[in-house]
Amino acid sequence: MTKSLQATKQIILHIALIVFLAMTGHVASARADAMPAAKLQQIGDGQYLAGVFRLDRYLAGFEQPLVSKGAFTLSPGDGLVWQNREPFPDVTVMTDRGITRIGDDGSRETIANGAQFNQFITLISAVLSGNWDALSQHFTVTERSVEMDVEKGVENNAETDDATDGDSASTWQIELTPIAGRPIADQIAHITASGRDFVDHVRIDKPTGDHDEITLSNQTAASLPLPDDIVALLAGQVQ
Amino acid sequence: MNVRAVIWFLCLIVMGVLTFWQINAQNAKIDGDILSLIGREHHDGDADQKDRLSDINIVRDLLLSDANQVIIMMSHPDRDQLEKASRTLAQHFRDMDGTASVSVPGFETGDARSLYGFYLDHAGGLLSQKDRDLLINGDGQRIYKRAVQSLYAPSSMISAQSLASDPFSLLPGFLAELGDKIGQSGLVHKDDHYGTPIIITLAPHVRTSGFEADWVKHADDLIATATASDDALLIAKTGQIFFAVSEASHAKSDVQRIAVIATFGVIAMVVWVFMSPLPILAALLTVGSGLLAGITALVLVFDSIHAIALVFGASLIGISIDYALHYLVLPGSSGTDDTRLSHVRPGLRLGLLTTVCGFSALAFTPTILLAQISVYSIAGLIAAYVTVATILPCLPARNIRDRAAIRLIYQKIDTVLLAVRPSNGLRHVMLVLATVALIGAAFYLPANDDIAALGHGDDALIADARIIAETLGMGGNPQFIRVDGDNIQDRLETGEAVRDALRPLITDRRIGSLFGLSDVIPSISRQNTNRALITSQLIEPFGPQLQAVIPVDISSTQDTKTPLEPAPKILAAIPGLSGLQRGETDIIRLNAVKDVDAVRDAISHIGQASLINPRETITGQFARYRVWASIALGVSLLVAGLVAVLRYGFPDGLHVVAAPLIAILCAVSGAFVLGVTINFFAIMSLFLVFAIGADYAIFTSESRQHGTQDATRFAVFLSLISSVLAFGLLATSSVPVVNAIGTIISIGLISAWVLSYWMCAGHKGNDQRTTHPQSRGHQ
Repeated sequence: MTKSLQATKQIILHIALIVFLAMTGHVASARADAMPAAKLQQIGDGQYLAGVFRLDRYLAGFEQPLVSKGAFTLSPGDGLVWQNREPFPDVTVMTDRGITRIGDDGSRETIANGAQFNQFITLISAVLSGNWDALSQHFTVTERSVEMDVEKGVENNAETDDATDGDSASTWQIELTPIAGRPIADQIAHITASGRDFVDHVRIDKPTGDHDEITLSNQTAASLPLPDDIVALLAGQVQ
Repeated sequence: MNVRAVIWFLCLIVMGVLTFWQINAQNAKIDGDILSLIGREHHDGDADQKDRLSDINIVRDLLLSDANQVIIMMSHPDRDQLEKASRTLAQHFRDMDGTASVSVPGFETGDARSLYGFYLDHAGGLLSQKDRDLLINGDGQRIYKRAVQSLYAPSSMISAQSLASDPFSLLPGFLAELGDKIGQSGLVHKDDHYGTPIIITLAPHVRTSGFEADWVKHADDLIATATASDDALLIAKTGQIFFAVSEASHAKSDVQRIAVIATFGVIAMVVWVFMSPLPILAALLTVGSGLLAGITALVLVFDSIHAIALVFGASLIGISIDYALHYLVLPGSSGTDDTRLSHVRPGLRLGLLTTVCGFSALAFTPTILLAQISVYSIAGLIAAYVTVATILPCLPARNIRDRAAIRLIYQKIDTVLLAVRPSNGLRHVMLVLATVALIGAAFYLPANDDIAALGHGDDALIADARIIAETLGMGGNPQFIRVDGDNIQDRLETGEAVRDALRPLITDRRIGSLFGLSDVIPSISRQNTNRALITSQLIEPFGPQLQAVIPVDISSTQDTKTPLEPAPKILAAIPGLSGLQRGETDIIRLNAVKDVDAVRDAISHIGQASLINPRETITGQFARYRVWASIALGVSLLVAGLVAVLRYGFPDGLHVVAAPLIAILCAVSGAFVLGVTINFFAIMSLFLVFAIGADYAIFTSESRQHGTQDATRFAVFLSLISSVLAFGLLATSSVPVVNAIGTIISIGLISAWVLSYWMCAGHKGNDQRTTHPQSRGHQ
């Protein structure tokens, strides 16, 4: 029973982690020497990443996806601020202390907190430092290079060993498959992330048949400090 | 004579083989857990069912259930290292013989999917208290807004399936609150360390087959290996099995030490007096046969033998040696073996009779420990008597060395004590005053039956338990609330009323958490109220708006749902509930209670709910046992007085019983002055004072019938030395309850010995005349 209820937090954590990890665009950076993801731009300790997103949530049986758009800011040392602009404004702040939702009226609601979230930043740091051990405990990681016809949007996949160190149309793709028996396998069936300098697209398939597609754009890596409004949002995070 | 000796010797051999086989086949085990002593009263018929629902039985069952659980807390500054070490150690425990199951809740999700699905079918009637309060206050707008936000949140748990049953996303809040109610965290961060529990459930045979010590040793080895492999890794452990093994280890160690020292002390004394190995052989045969018969009786009658009963068994040496010495001090010149035996047999028989009466009274008290001691003592003393009556006469007689220092010391003390000779009137006054004082002491002497003061305690284990309780909120000393009711729904509603009443105490942290069946399965009444709230405060005002976003017929989500009910199949699927329901009683478990009185006050208005504090309940039970033991002691004194009057007439019979009675008063008074706690076990030790004191008085009185006063008084003196040697050593035990027993018995026996002079000895002049033949024999 305890384990089951503990799982509620774990589920939220895992979902948050996946979003977080995917957004960093650095899931492939660890093997940058040998992979197409070598083009992936790394974020240093003194930097943060900002951009805009579109989240398409496909629910089984629903004809249309639930679509939301907004901006995000990721600071490896502080956390992730997910700012919805459409269809309505609100903010979700995810840090190693938990997840807080902030309404447009400024009201804050703690979605989850606890020590489980301490691994949040730990895992992010592990990814940024090229330490795959943190992810390899949960996922089987497969990387592929993708030749993309940008104009036609047609992909030509190739195995990693055949990767080409090609032109600007060359991109990479990484697939994360939960290791059987790991708790996360109950929540995630498969993750596919792809991009060039940053992660541009993430698809999260769930065992229920639902899936999320996250498209990231206009991403820039900037030096700290964070903008004041972001700092304010992070400062109000659950303690 | 020889035929009887051979038969008895063969009987002893059979006993030895039988006992060896029983113990090696683990048909009998040694139990060191104090809790295992309680709640095991003798029942039959309807009384069994009635007592099944008593607080003490509930507490015992709950604590015994907890006894199969072990919590290992792993702590490390690095989370990943902690996970790795936890999983490794957990696997080692899984591989251990005696481990039924192992879980690492900090790194496992368990059956989350099935649990979520289980509740999802009934989501329309489930609300967290927070959401319920919002709806009661008419603030459904916030929940609606939150539901819409969840649709687009990056960390949302929603799915097409969940929206069909729970369009307002109320279930995650219910589940999260339920997790908080349980109060156990899988992974915590405190003082720069991550902490997580490994929860181990022991296989039933570990406790039933005496395998605890082996399991604990193996577990300690695993923990030591894990700790040695990583300096930063800290491991704490708790569980009743660790405390039980520790207590048993201390008790066993004390038993061995006391038995060895007492035995060698007695041997040295006998050698000193007789300067011959034969009396030693006789004493060892007597003592050995007593111990053997006692243990044989225990293993035949009981499935497990408590360590405290074993401690008393070792102390039995001090009693059974009396019988051997009483015979051995008779000079060889005083007649044939039969003649010598006839001099002491009446005294031995009467002493045995009064002792058996006393220990039989113990058997009528409702506790397994006293029953074990009673069986042990009665069987042991009867065996010792039979050995003296059958085997000892077959051994050549050996006379006492008159020049032995111990005899010279005795003679000086004897002269002094005989010089004090109270008149019969004074004896009667002493008897009356002592009787009144003893009755007064029974009513007014302060007693302390607190169970916490009984055991030895293991500082390291106590520290570990405290760390785990403070860090994880697990283990420790739980409290319970029992909820009674004929109908399960009534009990669920009572459980909800209890939670409502205790919510303020949780808010101000006077209670860490509480958890009961009604938290997992709300009453139908509560579910119906929730449905009404959801319909009126969410579906009606906000359903159409939400339906515009998600293609779900929200208005029909409440129509098809059946209420969640605690069917046996459902209860069995949730292991945490298995111990919280028994018959027509449900149990609510409270953790980290800081103010027990506040809890009791808060629920005082709820008629069907009552607080069960295990420590208070067990302490109360021991207090009742103390009263029973006191009554049994009084009855024993009365019976002994009756027997003595029948044997010696009036008033001599009263003088005989006055000696142990006043000795008991001296022991109680001495214990009070020395600060020894008067509790159930202290009263129990007074039985030994009574039994041995009665022996002293009877032997002394009986010797006047056979003209063997001096020899008998010397035998009593030797007996006193051996008894004080044994019981005095008990006072050195590290187990408080054993220490108290030793102190009380030592004081009582010395008093009984002196009183045997003042109440029962003949005049000095008579002594000299009657001892004359023996003196010749010694020469």
